[in-house]
Amino acid sequence: MRIRNKTQLAETLETCRPALLDNPNILKALLAIQSARGYVPTNAIPQIAQVLGVTEAQVAGVLSYYSDLRTQPPGRHLIRVCMGESCMANYGARVFRAIQEYVRMTVGDPTQAKRFTVEQMSCAGNCALSPTVMIDADLYGRVTPSGVPSLLEPYR
Amino acid sequence: MAAARSLSPEAIVEELRISRLRGRGGAAFPVWKKWQVAQRIRSEQKYVVANADEGDAGTYCDRMIMEGDPFRLIEGMLVCARAIGATRGYIYCRYEYPAAARAMRFAIQKAREADLLDSDDYSFDLEVVSGAGSYVCGEETALLESLEGRRGVVLAKPPYPAESGLYGKPTIVSNVLTFATIPNILANGGAWHASLGTEGSRGTMAVQLGGRVKQPGLIEIPFGLTLRDILDRFGGGMAAGSRFKAVQIGGPLGSLFPESQLDIPICYDAFAEAGAILGHGGIVVYDHETDMVELARHFMAFTADESCGKCTPCRIGSVRGREILERIQSGQGTAEDLFLLSDLGETMKATSLCALGGRAPYPVLTAIEHFPNEFRSKLSAFSSQQ
Ligand SMILES: Cc1cc2nc3c(=O)[nH]c(=O)nc-3n(C[C@H](O)[C@H](O)[C@H](O)COP(=O)(O)O)c2cc1C
Ligand code: FES
Repeated sequence: MRIRNKTQLAETLETCRPALLDNPNILKALLAIQSARGYVPTNAIPQIAQVLGVTEAQVAGVLSYYSDLRTQPPGRHLIRVCMGESCMANYGARVFRAIQEYVRMTVGDPTQAKRFTVEQMSCAGNCALSPTVMIDADLYGRVTPSGVPSLLEPYR
Repeated sequence: MAAARSLSPEAIVEELRISRLRGRGGAAFPVWKKWQVAQRIRSEQKYVVANADEGDAGTYCDRMIMEGDPFRLIEGMLVCARAIGATRGYIYCRYEYPAAARAMRFAIQKAREADLLDSDDYSFDLEVVSGAGSYVCGEETALLESLEGRRGVVLAKPPYPAESGLYGKPTIVSNVLTFATIPNILANGGAWHASLGTEGSRGTMAVQLGGRVKQPGLIEIPFGLTLRDILDRFGGGMAAGSRFKAVQIGGPLGSLFPESQLDIPICYDAFAEAGAILGHGGIVVYDHETDMVELARHFMAFTADESCGKCTPCRIGSVRGREILERIQSGQGTAEDLFLLSDLGETMKATSLCALGGRAPYPVLTAIEHFPNEFRSKLSAFSSQQ
């Protein structure tokens, strides 16, 4: 379930409010917001800082440090292509190009708007089945450039 | 655990000393020494943290343990908690492993329901915490910073976490595989573990074969087998259509080995002597299609992306290193650039705060050492005359 409005953001944040004498955990709060909403909107930084009792700079610092924290809403499906060494050795860069190509072809078609976000990731721990592509929570191994269209087809 | 319950905390540490188990996370520090430090400090709160960040690309044995045999990790952590007197534990699991985090949470729930986490004389609270995609958060001090919710920045040691770790309390940070090895040691005795392997490297090594071999996968071997043995006997040689070019051991900070150096035995001593590391046991084989200049650039770019920024040699050095390699790649490089790169590498090795900057030059410099022509042929025409 994605949060649609401010009150829901506040509700998620409330679960992260540190108990008296407890230390606030900024990363945990940001991950909770991202898992509820898909990303962490930067305009929520003041509110987050206030609930956690830390400075805005501390929140912004953590948010920008971790590469898996997103500040923009992703597409309906998040494609992450592994760029770890085992996948590199198995020509993962070619798979990445094929995916970019496929996604580019769908750009401009309004029915396909916001369908995919493509990112690179580091090792998915699937190295014996390289090259690896992760789509949302699904893990795929031995992906070939020619297999890309049929791989992405079901993700509408 | 049954064995551990019958032993005093001191006797558990003694059993580990006899086993000569060294940490499997990369630094290969004797486990018993760390535990003893934490055990001897008096503190109302101590922590046990499993390092499940498994950042080295090409490694996956921690993931296999967490998804396939999560109770083994829990048991190892419980033994540690008992030995040092800790009441809280965390498993810091990388963001890329959602299935492993789920399996661990489920196993902890089951263990709690079966009253395995608590016993008469102590209670243990265990929680899975997710990282957010930072390689350097696998380094123990950065990991603890991240666990407290801050930027994962490396801290200067000492103090070591065993003295002053999470929230300033004594904390044992160990790799998943290290913890998972402990139940076997207590069940079979430290002497059993010490009877396997080589002089300085006792026990077994989980080797994770990847890249262009015919049969990639996870294999457990006693230390001492040669690299060639592993590639031929377990890897089944090269994948169809591929010719061997180089093999890298120890993740993105590990050295490259050419064909002529494959007879090196897999053990900490031989690797230390060769200036290489076993790291977490990842082995990646590259084939003839691999462009060594591009690979070297990839490694420097990786370090530039992942540097926590605390120390200058790593933060600035990796960016300059990447720029030099990009210059060579675009045909603008000179012979001086190669010299500059090795000079920069030596500086990073000598002066970086942690092994990220300190090891980053190794894959790059070994690539240049073993495949010099690939680099030289890309230098600009002016410079190659000299
Ligand atoms: C840049 C860097 C990354 C590291 N990544 C990991 C990692 O992903 N997993 C791990 O267990 N240890 C990692 N380490 C090693 C840890 O700092 C630490 O030595 C280890 O967790 C101790 O556990 P052990 O005694 O079981 O080996 C890393 C170290 C450095 C410098
Ligand atoms: S290197 Fe890609 S899954 Fe490990």
